[in-house]
Order: sequence, then C-alpha cells, then structure tokens
Amino acid sequence: MTPRHDTTRATAAPRLRPIGRRPSLGTYLSDLWQRRHFIYADSRARAFSGNRDYILGNLWLIGKPILDGITYYIIFALILRIDRGMDNFVGFLLIGIFMFTFTTRATNSAVSAMISSRNLLQSFAFPRASIPLAVLTREAISMAPVLATMAFLILVLAPAKSPVEVTWTWLLFPLVFVLQTLFNTGVVLYCARLGAALPDLKFFIGFVTRIWFYGSGVMFPITRFVQDDFWVAVLQSNPMYLVLDITRDILLYDALPTARSWMILTAWAVLTPVMAFLYFWQGEESYAQQQ
Amino acid sequence: MPSSSETHPTVVVDRVSRTFRVPSLERVRELGPLPRALARFGWRPTVKLEALKDVSFVAQSGESIGVIGVNGSGKSTLLRLIAGLDVPTRGSVTASSQPVLLGVNAALQPELSGLANARLGLLAMGFSPEAMEEAIAQVTTQANLGHAIHRPMKTYSSGMGSRLRFAIAAASQPEILLIDEALATGDETSRNRAEERMAQIREQAGTVFLVTHSGKTVEQTCTRAIWLHNGELVQDGPAGETATMYRWWAWNVANGKHEVAEGILRKEIAKGVAMAEAARADEE
Repeated sequence: MTPRHDTTRATAAPRLRPIGRRPSLGTYLSDLWQRRHFIYADSRARAFSGNRDYILGNLWLIGKPILDGITYYIIFALILRIDRGMDNFVGFLLIGIFMFTFTTRATNSAVSAMISSRNLLQSFAFPRASIPLAVLTREAISMAPVLATMAFLILVLAPAKSPVEVTWTWLLFPLVFVLQTLFNTGVVLYCARLGAALPDLKFFIGFVTRIWFYGSGVMFPITRFVQDDFWVAVLQSNPMYLVLDITRDILLYDALPTARSWMILTAWAVLTPVMAFLYFWQGEESYAQQQ
Repeated sequence: MPSSSETHPTVVVDRVSRTFRVPSLERVRELGPLPRALARFGWRPTVKLEALKDVSFVAQSGESIGVIGVNGSGKSTLLRLIAGLDVPTRGSVTASSQPVLLGVNAALQPELSGLANARLGLLAMGFSPEAMEEAIAQVTTQANLGHAIHRPMKTYSSGMGSRLRFAIAAASQPEILLIDEALATGDETSRNRAEERMAQIREQAGTVFLVTHSGKTVEQTCTRAIWLHNGELVQDGPAGETATMYRWWAWNVANGKHEVAEGILRKEIAKGVAMAEAARADEE
C-alpha cells in the first residue's frame, strides 16, 4: 500500500481515518465481499473442529436426525396414532425433521459464535459479520449429506400403497433450499448479535427452537389440532411451516405448492436477512470488546 | 518503496479514555444487606475501572515506540484501542492505515495446525487467496518452526506460538504494527529475527508500537517511549531517557523506597504536562 500524498498541503501526509469505528454500510458490504475467502476458510475450520471429538465424527450430522426420527415415530405414530389417515407418515416426518435440522443447528451455533470466535475477533480487524456468515456457510454445506440421506430414505421407506418417485417437481427443491438458506442467514445474524450481548441466551434458545419446531408441523399436520381460521392462517405464515409444507408437496405428493406459499416464504427470505444485517451492522463496534 | 525523508503522522490518539465496568467484591461491605445477601449467591456488584485517562499523542512514520508501565497500567488497553479492536469511552483514534495487532494470548484456533492458522489469519486481514499463498512462504521462513508448523497450534510452546503470530503479522506488511510483549517470550535467534523485521517496517516509513514492562527492551529496540501508570500518561519522550527514568522508578518501588518513587512519578507527570502545554501553545 502506498500512502497517498496531498500536494496542496505543506506537509505531505496520508489522510487519517478513524480506527475501530463502524464504517458506512457501503464500505462495510464491500469489505465483507473482500473477505469472502476468509468466510469460506473459517467455515471449513469450524467443520473441522465441530465433531472431531466424537468417534463417529461427522456421521452424527445424519445420525442425530435419524435417531430423532425414530423417537418421534415411536411417540407420534406407535403411541399417539397421529398417523391415522395419513398415507405416508414416515416421509412426512423425515422431511420435517431433516429440513428443520438446518435451522436448529444454525441457530444454536450462531448464538455462541461471537464468544467462541473471541480469539479471531481480538486478533484481527475484519467485518464482524464474517463470523455469522461462516457459521451459516458451514451449516449449509453440512446439509448436503443430510439432504442426500433424506431423499434416499423417503424413496426407500415409502409404503407400498403410496410410493414416492422422483418426478419433475423435485427440480423445484433447490429453490426451497435457497429460500430457507436466505431466511436462515437472517436468523443467524440476529442470533449472533443477541448471543454476543447476552451469552445466557445459549441456554434459552433451545426452548425457543423447540416451540418453533412444534409450531411448524414437523411431526403432525397443524390442522389436526388447530381449527380456528385465524390461528391456522398465523401458523401457516410461519416461514419454517412453509419450508416443510412446500418440500412435502414437491418431494412426496408430486404437487405444485400454491403461489401464496411461495410468495409468503419469499417475503420472509428477503426481508429477514436485510433487517438482520442492519441490526448486526449497528453493533459492529461491540463484538471484540471486553466486558 | 523508497523511504521518505520527511515524516508524517501515522497514529493520532486524541484525549482517549476507556472505562470498564468490572465485577468486584471490593465495595461489598459498604453496600446494604440485600446486595450483600445476593453476593453470597454469586451476584457481583460492578465497579468502574478507568483503564485509560485522557491519553493523547501523535506517532510519526519511522518511529518505533515502546509503551512501558507495570501490569495493569493500561498498556494493552491502549494497544487494543489503536488496533480498533476496542472503542474508547471518550476521545478518538485515527490512523493512516489499519494497524495490525500482535497479541500474546491469541491462541487463534487451537485445533488447527500452525499453517492453517496462518492462512486463516492472512485471509482475515483481507488477503486474496493468491497473495495469501505468497505470504505463507514468508510466514514459514520467518516463524522457522520446521515440521511443527503442520501440528495443531494447541501443542505449541508459548515461544513457538508467539513466533508464529509475529510471522503472520509481519507477513501482512503492515504500515503500523502493534506488538504486545511478544519479544519477551522468544529465544535469542527469534528475537533477532523479529527485531530485524521491526527495523524493516520502520525503514518503509511505518510505525511500530511495542508494549512491554521491561525498560531494557525499550532502550534496545525503540526510538521513543510512552510511560503509562494507572491509565495516565506519565512521560512521552526519547526511549533512552524515558526508559531510564522508568527503570529508576521501578528500582525504587522494588526496594520499598515508595516516597522516592512517588517523587519521580510526580516530577515526570509535571514535566509531561508542561511539555503538552508548550506543544499546545506552539499550535496556536
């Protein structure tokens, strides 16, 4: 870097700029774009250190949702008999659990991300949004084996009376996944700032995601328990409900999701990251600070 | 880059104060019965800690500035503020380019190898992958860790860790380099290598800050010294003079001659204030 010389002044000196202050939104975005290689490298580092203390390592990415699925199958199908009248409850459940995993994992890692990255934050000056974005990147990449397993299981475990086949509606799946990823970007940015300000949130966030999980129709159709039109409309505007519902339509039922579903989910997927990014950027100066 | 004959300001620290709120049981006796009862269950009342009080100075290009003072005098806080990793409660810090801080206790990512940590660090400072790979060669030479560079960083000794961190910071070719006691932990050869690198940065019209509690290190490697005590700037002058006064003061403290030490502090602060006033009068 060559210092810029100002010839109009007697003392030729490079311009001084404030240090440690939050830059303008435009500068911040271009700084962040410049750090895209760092974001990817950091997400790789996280993937490496995440499951390496366990014997089965990254197999737990798939193992945990499968065990969850078995548990919920025992409770909701074998004991509570929720599956009465449903042709393919196993497929319904698998999509619910596997797709929801992405959001749960992203939320949990994001809440503690700024604290666990303290070494990096206190050593180097970089746009702090790199950290939550690395968390998201890592979780999105981790979804590849999870989604492959999900597709395999719904094809193999489909009951004989309602077989599941790969149809052209499966082509719409990448679109749902992109919308979920965009929405999760927002969630991750919100959680990162909140978790940095209030580390205790780490213990609380599990309850929030569990209520969200039950409210999104992961293991039973919402309409089974809620009949009031207003509440059904509210629950069906929940972005995670929409992600699961659209995925089931295109993967299980060979059906086109309604335009209304696509529109509401797209609105969530656009507005959430924009608002969350502004929120995170406003706290930029606080993340490396000691208390 | 040719070294320019005229100097220019690289870092301006303008009336900077930094106050922390820290949990402490110091005042618990003065509190009412309720806070005292809560303290038994782990609640900690907070007290104000003024880590830096109204510190001002201008660093010029080509200078190597030692920041000296005893533990807890505010040296590291000052360095973190200059690096932009913390924000002053009052006042402002401006610089001609982004300073790079080399801290002691940043273990970076302990699970990753030294090499992977170096890659991550360089990318964090905004290197492109191509420029990073070029710089990595420099890091390996400068750190001189041999095969250990492929081992997880958590297996490093503190000297090895600080050598690697210095190599990462130096490879980024910063105009302003901030070093936090890193030289104290290295052995003779790595110290020489680090000093060479510091001299190089100064020749390229850069500025080096070195935080240490050893007056001797400052005399050997710096051109200017800033003495902090309890968050206040005691003296800011040529390295030799300031470090000598600091060592004389520290010797008196160590030998229990607290009155003499107090006298030195008071005299040096008065001298500093007079100089600052003269400088301000000069400006007007």
